[in-house]
Formats: sequence, C-alpha cells, structure tokens
Amino acid sequence: MADTTLLPLHRADGSATYSKNGYSVVAAVNGPIEVQRRDELPEEAAVDVVLRPAAGVGGLRERHLESVVQHTLRHVILVSAHPRTLIQCTLQIVTGPEDDSVTCSLPQAASDLPVLPALLQASILALLSTSIPLSMTLTAAFVAVNSKDTLVLDPSVQQIKRASSIHLLAFSSRGDLLVVESEGDFTIDKWEEVHQKAKLICHGEEGDESESEDVSMKSDDISKLENVLKDAVERQIAKEQRWNQTIG
Amino acid sequence: MTLNPTPQPLTFPALTFAKLAPSSFLSAHLSNPSGPIRPSGRTATQTRTPTCNTGSLTHANGSAVVRCGDTAAVCGVRGEILKMGDIADYEARELDGGDDDGDDEEEEEEEVVVGEEMMEERRRKRRREDTDEMARLNLLVPNLELATGCSPAHLPGGPPSVLAQTLTQRVVTLLHTSDLIGMEPLRIWFRPAAEFSSATPGAMRMGGDMEEMEAREGEEEEIAKAEVKAFWVLYIDVLFISLDGNAFDAAWLAILAALKDTMLPRAWWDADREMVLCSDEPSEARGLDIRGVPVPLSFGVFEGDGQGKGERGMEKGMEKWVLVDVDGFEEGLCREEGTVVVGERGRLVKIEKNGGAGVGMREMRGLVGLAAKRREEWMAVLGMS
Repeated sequence: MADTTLLPLHRADGSATYSKNGYSVVAAVNGPIEVQRRDELPEEAAVDVVLRPAAGVGGLRERHLESVVQHTLRHVILVSAHPRTLIQCTLQIVTGPEDDSVTCSLPQAASDLPVLPALLQASILALLSTSIPLSMTLTAAFVAVNSKDTLVLDPSVQQIKRASSIHLLAFSSRGDLLVVESEGDFTIDKWEEVHQKAKLICHGEEGDESESEDVSMKSDDISKLENVLKDAVERQIAKEQRWNQTIG
Repeated sequence: MTLNPTPQPLTFPALTFAKLAPSSFLSAHLSNPSGPIRPSGRTATQTRTPTCNTGSLTHANGSAVVRCGDTAAVCGVRGEILKMGDIADYEARELDGGDDDGDDEEEEEEEVVVGEEMMEERRRKRRREDTDEMARLNLLVPNLELATGCSPAHLPGGPPSVLAQTLTQRVVTLLHTSDLIGMEPLRIWFRPAAEFSSATPGAMRMGGDMEEMEAREGEEEEIAKAEVKAFWVLYIDVLFISLDGNAFDAAWLAILAALKDTMLPRAWWDADREMVLCSDEPSEARGLDIRGVPVPLSFGVFEGDGQGKGERGMEKGMEKWVLVDVDGFEEGLCREEGTVVVGERGRLVKIEKNGGAGVGMREMRGLVGLAAKRREEWMAVLGMS
C-alpha cells in the first residue's frame, strides 16, 4: 500500500520518498549543519522544515503544515544531542491524488490534512536514513468518518468530500499520541473510537507494556504502519550490505 | 571610618528568578503541594475571563475589541461586493447551479412522501454545497496581524511572521469546517418582478427566509428568473494590540463577536444601471446568519524542567501539566500545544495538537469537558446565551 524508497537523492545527507493514498512526497534532510546566528539555540539543535507544494509556491497552508511537522520533529529528534546546529528537512510534494480536479484549483480553505501523513512519514524516513539520533519514530494514520458513522481508512478525495469528519493521528513508537488534526462534526466518543482504530493501524495489537516490543517483533503479518518503516530500513540495510554477502 | 560591606543575601526577587530559570520557576509553582498554581495565580484548568466590546470601529460593517488577560485583539469585518462578472469560472458555476435546481425539484416531490428525514438530508446537502461555494469563491478573507509592539518577540517592518500566517490559516480552516456563516445573506439577488410589483421590496427581502424566497422564485419563474448577481465578500481583519499567549482563542472570540455585530446594507442588482446598489437606510440593513458558535480551548503541556535533577530525570515523563489558556510566559515553555473546538450540544468541530506526547485519549476528554464549559462563558460574553 505504501511505497517507500530510502536515499533516492545522493547529494543530501539523507532522503526518502513516501507514496500513499495518491500522495507522493520526497524528503531530504541535511544535518547537523551550521546554523545562522539568528536561529541558533544554545542548548539544542534548531529544526527547520521547508515544504514545497506540487505546483506553485508555498502559501499560508504550507506555512501551517511546516509548523506542524516542525513541532513534531523537534519532539522526535534528540535535539539536545546537537546544540547550536541546524537540522534542515526539505519536503517536496511530488504528486497529489489522481482525482485532483477538486484539489487542483485549491481554494485557500481546502483541507490540508490528507497530505500530512505522507509528510510526516517521509520526514521520519529521511531522518532515519540520515542517522540522526531520534528519541522515537512515528507513524501516522488518516481516517475519515462518513455520514453513516463508519470509519474509512485512507479515504479518497471523494470520500473526504462526503465525510462528516476527517482525522489524522500520529503515534510514537511507544504508542503515545503525538499529532492530532481532526476536523468536521463529531463527538468525543467517536473520536476515541477513531483513536483506537488509528492506534491499531499504526502500532499493531494492544499488548502489555513490557511485552509490546516482543509482540511487535513477531507479528509481522499484521500490516501495520510501523512495519512499513521497518521494511524500508531493512531493505536499505540489505542493499548496503550486499557487497559483504556476495564476498562472504 | 570603616567600610562596612553589608553582606548580600543570595536571594532574587521572583521576577529575576523567572527570567534566569523560567523552566524551574514554572516547575516550582506547579509542584506546589497544595495543587498546581500557575505564576499568574490561576489553576491549571482556569481560563482568563474575556471581555468584549462590539461596534467600536465606525467604518467597519462589524467590529469587536476583545481582551483575555493581557492579550487584546481588535477585529473589523468589512463587506465588499464581488460581482458575478468578475468571477473567472462564472459560466461553469452557472451550469452547476442549473443542475442543482433540477435536483432540488425532484427531491421536493419525493419529500412529500419521505418526510422529515429527507428534509434534514437535503438541508445538510445544501449547507455543504453552500460551504463549498463559499470556500471556492473565497468569500471569507481573514487576516491576522501582530502589531508592532504587541509583544517583544515581534519586530516591526518584517513580513508576516510564521505565527501570523499559521494563525490565519487555522482561522480560515475553522471558519469553513465549522460552517459558521450561512450563505444566504451573502448573496445579492436580481429579482426583476419584485422591483416593480411589490410596494415595499425592502420589507420583503428583510423577512426573506429561504423557504419564502424559494416560493417566490417559483412564482416568478415564468416572468423572469431571479438570479444571484453578486456576493458579499467579508474581509475579516484581526489586529493584535497586545499579545500575551493564546492568540488563537482571542482572535476567534474577536471574530465571533465582530461577525455577530456585522450588519450588511440591503443590496440589489439594478438591471438598468447594471450595477449593484446598496440601500443607505440603516433599518434595512441585516445581520449575518451565524450558527453553531464553535468555541476553542487552547492548551499547552509543560513537561517540567527535568534538567540537572539526576534521578528525577527518570520521572520526567511523569512530570507534566496540562495548562489551558496559556499566557506568554508559559507558551515559551510549553513544547506541546493544541486546541479543541466545541460546537453546539457538546459536539466537536476540531481537535489539533502537536509537539509532544503529553495529551492522550484520557486528557483529551477532560479538555473537551472544559471547552464545553468555556463555551457557556463565551456565549454569555457574546450575549447569545
């Protein structure tokens, strides 16, 4: 379902592509690099996120998405490990969903949520490929609730248009809720249901705190999003170690 | 004479402590044994009482000055006319409209049989179409400006800061997703028959409910079709005079109050002059159709100072306080921030949060309860309860 590539760009310190649900995003991470005096933080690394839309130049929507991603990455990266440096993450939206007739002539008010999971996942993969120390990884799920009160996972553009509410939830690798962006018309009970469903998608089965790691190691058959991350990294490692294996 | 140096005790006034070690300062306040008290004297779940003054700008169609603690914002709403002819995809939209009318008529026939559920469904569909149209035409244009000197962090002369842009974007999306403003008062109609046949066209239009208009539309269909010739575009400008945290809530309250205060003059399309005319009769002006009144509650999560505490670092994860309606000092220390927006009957309109893992499912339910309480307070301030 999700299509990932690690290190598609050779000049950046780390990069990744992530395609899902019609959206395709390229992320490049450079860091830790020298920081401008103005942005320098004495005790931690400054995190800078730059987002480019698929067409045109960025506007208010991109600034908002940038700030969401930036706040999230600032929490995920161990910023205190690189004081007085800059970690820069550049995100380029490559393609939008097929059914772009609606979103092409985007009114300013059109929802900015559908692309956010791809942005978060791509930036995390790029950070992993850069080998920047992270305190956790994250996975993001996108769920719509339609007018019949059923949950739709990874809704299409048309489904989003008809949905009564749409939800983006991102969970850390420890199962904590990191990012929420929900909008529409819903109740707190419904939101909790969405929360549980999204957590299941991102994080797999609910297990004991102590056992959860072992469980997640074994239950590879569950197509949870965390495994997408693991797969991508595993494939990359296998690729990089190929020379070693053929010789050995 | 001997110098008698008075020994300086190594104590600071509280303000100095706050400047030197803000994180420890806040942490010390919150870990008060008798319950967390914030430096401002509020408890963790206590919001600042807002005050609101409407109609203070004479040149705006509606305006409000709102103050929550030391955050003060002015909002002015100005209506301007967008003529159909000036809309690029005018023809395509006209076609759409024609199709919709056809659908509606069909549904009307069914309605008699199916009854209320169908009515409800139809109303919802229409509202959605209205909102889509409003978004497509950009009829609501909010803009937030952080004035020079509103807080030391904002330097004059630069381009709009990221904060201002983000806030504007959040306001735009909330205006549309919450479906706050009804489309009908924003339409400027051309009604050929009404201009001549009715003696008091103003009165007719003022009482013009949707149903009534439809009925009239039907009657006039043979003579000449009433059509929308222009729209009101609402320019909603918010200027922060002073910023002490929680800009979004203050801006939203100012917008709500200003929109409620907004009166648009009666406007109609004059076929002879081919332009939109506005009546200058104040009694003919009418307000907007404000529904739902979504009320936000912003919060921040403070995770303790956790520095140089040795073993206490272990329990850093446990040490967290969810503070609602954060002020400027706390905002600088809260990594995790978010907003819940509650509408009518405790239904939610929006939840957003990012920057940390402090608020989970359980905390969110508590915050929604607080937001529902705050909504009552705001309704009283807005004079809508």
